[in-house]
Amino acid sequence: MTNPDVVVIGGGIIGCCCAYYLAKQRLKVALVEKGSICSEASKSCQGHLFLWELPAINIKLAKASKKLYEQLYNELDIDFELRNTGSMSIAEKPQDLETLQQTLNELRQAGVECHLLSAKEFIKTEPNVTRDISGGASFPEDGQLNPMLTTIALTQAAKKLGADIRLFTEVTGIELSADNYSIVAVETTKGRIGTKYVINAAGVWSGQIGRMVGINIPLVPRRGNLIVTEQVPDNIINCQIIIASGYLDSLKGENKAAVAANVQQTREGNLLLGSSREFAGFDKNVNPEVISLIAKRCIRFFPVLAGLHTIRNWAGLRPYSPDMLPIISSSPIEGFYVASGHEGVGITMGPITGKLITQLITKQQPDLPVDQLSVERFAEKQ
Amino acid sequence: MIICRCQEVTLKEIVQAIAEGATTVNEIKRRTRAGMGLCQGRSCSRLVRKILAEHTGQKFAKVRPGSFRPPVRPIALSTLASLEKDTDDKS
Repeated sequence: MTNPDVVVIGGGIIGCCCAYYLAKQRLKVALVEKGSICSEASKSCQGHLFLWELPAINIKLAKASKKLYEQLYNELDIDFELRNTGSMSIAEKPQDLETLQQTLNELRQAGVECHLLSAKEFIKTEPNVTRDISGGASFPEDGQLNPMLTTIALTQAAKKLGADIRLFTEVTGIELSADNYSIVAVETTKGRIGTKYVINAAGVWSGQIGRMVGINIPLVPRRGNLIVTEQVPDNIINCQIIIASGYLDSLKGENKAAVAANVQQTREGNLLLGSSREFAGFDKNVNPEVISLIAKRCIRFFPVLAGLHTIRNWAGLRPYSPDMLPIISSSPIEGFYVASGHEGVGITMGPITGKLITQLITKQQPDLPVDQLSVERFAEKQ
Repeated sequence: MIICRCQEVTLKEIVQAIAEGATTVNEIKRRTRAGMGLCQGRSCSRLVRKILAEHTGQKFAKVRPGSFRPPVRPIALSTLASLEKDTDDKS
C-alpha cells in the first residue's frame, strides 16, 4: 500500500470506530495495533451503552453514539448483538433513594428518560431482587452490545473500504517535520509509515504516544475486575442491566478503590458481574479481594446468584482522565489528533468519537461542540 | 464437526474465522466463542491450535494457547464471596 492519509493508533473500540468513519469518507486509513483487535480495555468490559453519566456533554455524546450504533447495526455485516435493554438502578438505603431522586432531576434536565420506582414497583419487575431495598429507577434508553464482535465488524467493514489493518505492530516513534509542526511518518516495529495525520486512540497508552510528539495526555489506568458466570436462563434478572446505588459515586476520581454491584446478562446468557475501580498502575492481574467483594455485593442484591458458578474472572484498564471527560481533539501539532480518555464509556462513545474525529480531520462542522474535550486543557502551563 | 463442545463451535466456523484474518487462539475465541464456555478451552484449546497451525502454515509449537484466567474450575459465587470478609462496600 502506498502511504495512507491517516494512521490510527489503537485497535480498541475508539480506534476501530475512527478507522471505519474515516474510511467511509474515502480517506486512506492504516490502523496499527500492538496486539490484536479488541485485546485490552474494550474486551474487558460489560458492553453497556450507558446513557446517564453526567455532565450534560457526556449525555449528549452517549445519545448521539447510541443512534450511530443503530445505524451501524444495519450497515455492518456482523450481528454485534446490539440490544435496547434499558437499565435499572437499585437504591439500597433510604438515603440512596433520596440521592437517586436528585440525580434523576439532574438527568431529566440533561434530557435523559428515567423513572423513579418504589421498592414495591422494583420488586414487581425484578422478583429475584432482595426485599431489603428502598426503591430504584429505570433508564429505558440504555443498551448493550458485544464489544468483540462490534470491533471486528467495524474493522472488517473498514477493510472493505480499503483500510489497511496492521496487527501486532507497535508504534515506536513519530517523525515530525523539521520545524516540529507537522507529522511526517509513524515508526513501528514493522517499519515506517509515511502519513500526514495520526489519531492517537491508544487508550491507557495514549500518554506514551503523546510524549512522542511532546503533547501532555495525563491519562491514568483505572483497573476494573469482572466476574463471568456460566450461561444461565434469562429469568434471573428481567432487565439485562441492573446497577446498585453507589455506582455513580464509584466513578468519582477521589475514590481510590471502589466496588458497586453491577449485574448484566449478555445475549449468550452469561452474567457479567462488576464493577470495580482501582488505581493500580498498568497491573492487569485480577485482584482476588475485589472479585470476592463484587460477588458479595451482587449476592447481597440477588441472593439467587449465590448458587451460580463463575467460569472466569479478569481485569482490564480504563483510560481515566483527571476530569472524567474524554479527549476528542486536534492538537498544536498539525495532523495529530487525540481520541482517548473515555474511562468507562469507551464502548458507549465509540461511534460518536470516530465520527467527530473524522469531521475534525475533513474540516466539516462537528455534530457536537468539542471545545470542552480538547487535549489543550491539559497543556502544561509555561 | 464440533470443536468446542461447550459453545458448540464447528470446525467450519473456526476455519472461517482464520480465513477472515484471525491468527491467534484469542482472536478465534473473540469471533466464534470457542473456549468461552464452561471448560474455558481446556478441552478444545489444543484442537484450535492444531487447526490454526494447519491453516496458517505455522508449527504447532509456535501457536500459543489462549489466555487463561482464574478460577481453575467453575466455583460457586457464594464460595467466591466468602473469600473476603469484614470489608464494607465503599472501601
